[in-house]
Amino acid sequence: MDPFATLDIEPRFDLDLKSVEGRHLDLSRALHPDRFVGRPASERRLALSKAIEVNEAWRAVRDPIRRAEALLGRMGIETGETSSAKADPELLMEMMEQREALAETRMERDPARLATLTAAMEEREEKVLGALNQALATTDPGAARDALPHLAELRFVRRFLEEASAVEDELL
Amino acid sequence: MSLLDIFDPKAAPKPIGIDLGTTNSLVAHVVDGKPRCIADCDGDALVPSVVHYGKHDLIIVGKEAARLAATHPQETIVSVKRFVGRGADDPETRRLGPYRFAEPKDEADGKVIKFEVHERTVNPVEVSAEILKALKKNAEGELRSVGGAVITVPAYFDDAQRQATKDAGRLAGLEVLRLLNEPTAAALAYGLDSKKSGTFAVYDLGGGTFDITILNLDDGVFQVRSTGGDSALGGDDMDRALAEVLLSEMGFPEGVDRSPEIVRIAIDAARQTKHALTDREIVEVELPAKGGKTVSVRVTREQFDALIRPIVERTGPACRRALKDAGLKPKELDGVILVGGSTRVPSVRAFVQSIFGQEPLGDIDPDQVVALGAAVQADLLAGEGNADDVLLLDVLPLSLGIETMGGVAEKILPRNTTIPAGAKQTFTTYADNQTGFEIHVVQGERELAADCRSLARFTLRGIPPMPAGLARLEVSFDVDADGLLNVYAKEIKTGIEQTVEVKPSYGLDDEQIEDMLLDALDHGEEDLAARRLAEQRVEAQRMLMATRQGLDADGDLLNVVERAHVMAAVDQLAASVEGSSVAAIESGIANLDGLTKGWAGRRMDRAIAKAIGGKGVDDVAKTVEGAGGIEAHLGTEGEK
Repeated sequence: MDPFATLDIEPRFDLDLKSVEGRHLDLSRALHPDRFVGRPASERRLALSKAIEVNEAWRAVRDPIRRAEALLGRMGIETGETSSAKADPELLMEMMEQREALAETRMERDPARLATLTAAMEEREEKVLGALNQALATTDPGAARDALPHLAELRFVRRFLEEASAVEDELL
Repeated sequence: MSLLDIFDPKAAPKPIGIDLGTTNSLVAHVVDGKPRCIADCDGDALVPSVVHYGKHDLIIVGKEAARLAATHPQETIVSVKRFVGRGADDPETRRLGPYRFAEPKDEADGKVIKFEVHERTVNPVEVSAEILKALKKNAEGELRSVGGAVITVPAYFDDAQRQATKDAGRLAGLEVLRLLNEPTAAALAYGLDSKKSGTFAVYDLGGGTFDITILNLDDGVFQVRSTGGDSALGGDDMDRALAEVLLSEMGFPEGVDRSPEIVRIAIDAARQTKHALTDREIVEVELPAKGGKTVSVRVTREQFDALIRPIVERTGPACRRALKDAGLKPKELDGVILVGGSTRVPSVRAFVQSIFGQEPLGDIDPDQVVALGAAVQADLLAGEGNADDVLLLDVLPLSLGIETMGGVAEKILPRNTTIPAGAKQTFTTYADNQTGFEIHVVQGERELAADCRSLARFTLRGIPPMPAGLARLEVSFDVDADGLLNVYAKEIKTGIEQTVEVKPSYGLDDEQIEDMLLDALDHGEEDLAARRLAEQRVEAQRMLMATRQGLDADGDLLNVVERAHVMAAVDQLAASVEGSSVAAIESGIANLDGLTKGWAGRRMDRAIAKAIGGKGVDDVAKTVEGAGGIEAHLGTEGEK
């Protein structure tokens, strides 16, 4: 499924998410199951599957990783986690250290240190997103491959932030 | 038979909204554009959610039942909502209460809680259905004929609890249009009434459940940003905490043998004391004590507040998490809406204020607002209100996951995903010629599947025999607008759809529901057949109406041959509706459905194109010329 096609929006990384949200609402108004109560079962099923597709597409383009994957997918570039370029050993090492630090804050229940770790990683996320945006400002599949290492790094960063968020939940 | 009243042609059926609460339930409807609660014959809108089972199949619901609870504590079920969608081993069955729970006969029997009342057992779905029937009767007193119903559920209800509520509606003879989340219902009533826009928190602490929902109100769009809660936390827990204190004063501390009557008296007295402490600082209560004496117990608000503090504080983490999930700071909220009777407790209000840093809005009746919102939604769904102006986008309250090797729960849909939602996963076989596959679906945030709530085991069957690892099974997990999960599967290489057998971990399966329906009807099989005929007729009428409307609006999307086939099928179905053969109507529906499938797709594409601003509308019309859908359909028909 190509989320850009589903939402009928221009396929690009630096989307204006506010206007895409407006598009999602317009489509939801037309397709939400609430609009099909009292309609024949087959019509309800068809609308439901379309509504799910639209919600999924909106979820995909909102998420930078899935947005990048969709863009690369359109250019015929495989992006599955196993098929992406071998991760930089230096990055791997660094991320391992970061995650160890996160595990420690969890053990120590130390919200201040968690906030520092999270803030640093969020800053890094901004940088990676910038690099990814630059690499994806092309329709040339050869050039777009340069985005792959940035995508791999973003995956690590996002995974760290998700785990940090789970730790934050525990400390709430 | 009441189940057929939905189709009573004499009075135009009116849609209703139902707040099926832990302590009280209400039914409401919309008159002249305004939602209004419907009172019973005594003029009361609140119906206590209490069901008394007497001898000789006598069933009493509401106020009268609540009065009988003191003398018949084991045969009178109070707060049944706490037991809905839960298994016989649920911790809820071990909390302070007077009931006799039936020992499960086997594993399958243990999937639902059963109360022993006299010589029979009843499950929470049946008890809830009695409350719904009573509300339906009140509504019929005013509206003569009741149409579809919207029933509210706590936002934090899981799949099993939602399914059980829907089953109860069906058992009560209601056409359930939608299960609506209680905080969303409250926001709908409040938002449409006040015409406010902005971001609001709805803090809903009822008798037995707690929800926190953060949502945006903007020009008729109600979009839930995040939700959280606890479906076993509420005023009942405050009552039980105070009841323990009262029981000690009465000479029955924990560990001493307590009769069901004494337990019921203590819980009821605790509830009354709690209510009285809303406006007073000190309450004195007279209670029967051990040895036939009477004891007078004095409870201060300070004591009560200290007693319930741990309960109230349990709502804190969910509030903070909901704010975090919505990406908001407390001061960014435009208001905090209080819902549920337990928010009348002064220390609850103070706690809410401390968490959100602002005084909650005070102009809402916390008892009625949910039912009023449900009525508004029912009105919109039945096509009575101006549906184009309102859009409700709700979310999945708990992450959905599947158990992987090693017992880890792999999340496939995270919490707070907008519904309807869907995720696809691909699986492969691990043995040669494997024809079946089992998937365990869980709901919750914990890492291990065993720590999450087990929803169901789905068994896929009919996988074509292939060497291990070759079959590729694409499994779709769809969550509909009621928050209910449906699973479909197909083998990608062959395109063969798999049959998916569902074994719910808690709750009733289809067969049990069918049996309960049969039991509930006076003339079992006969009535069920009549009901099926009526249902098929309704579906056929819907189909005919939709097709005729479609011919008027989108007739240009059919070519000449298609149109002729569709018209013939319409005539055939219209003729079969006049008859009384369920099979003839069913086949007529299937025929028309098959013939209009391609057209329906094109109409949907046109509607989508229209929704996004006219672009591409013409492209849809162009595809008609090349459409081969109908010939293909006729072709396959011919081969059979």
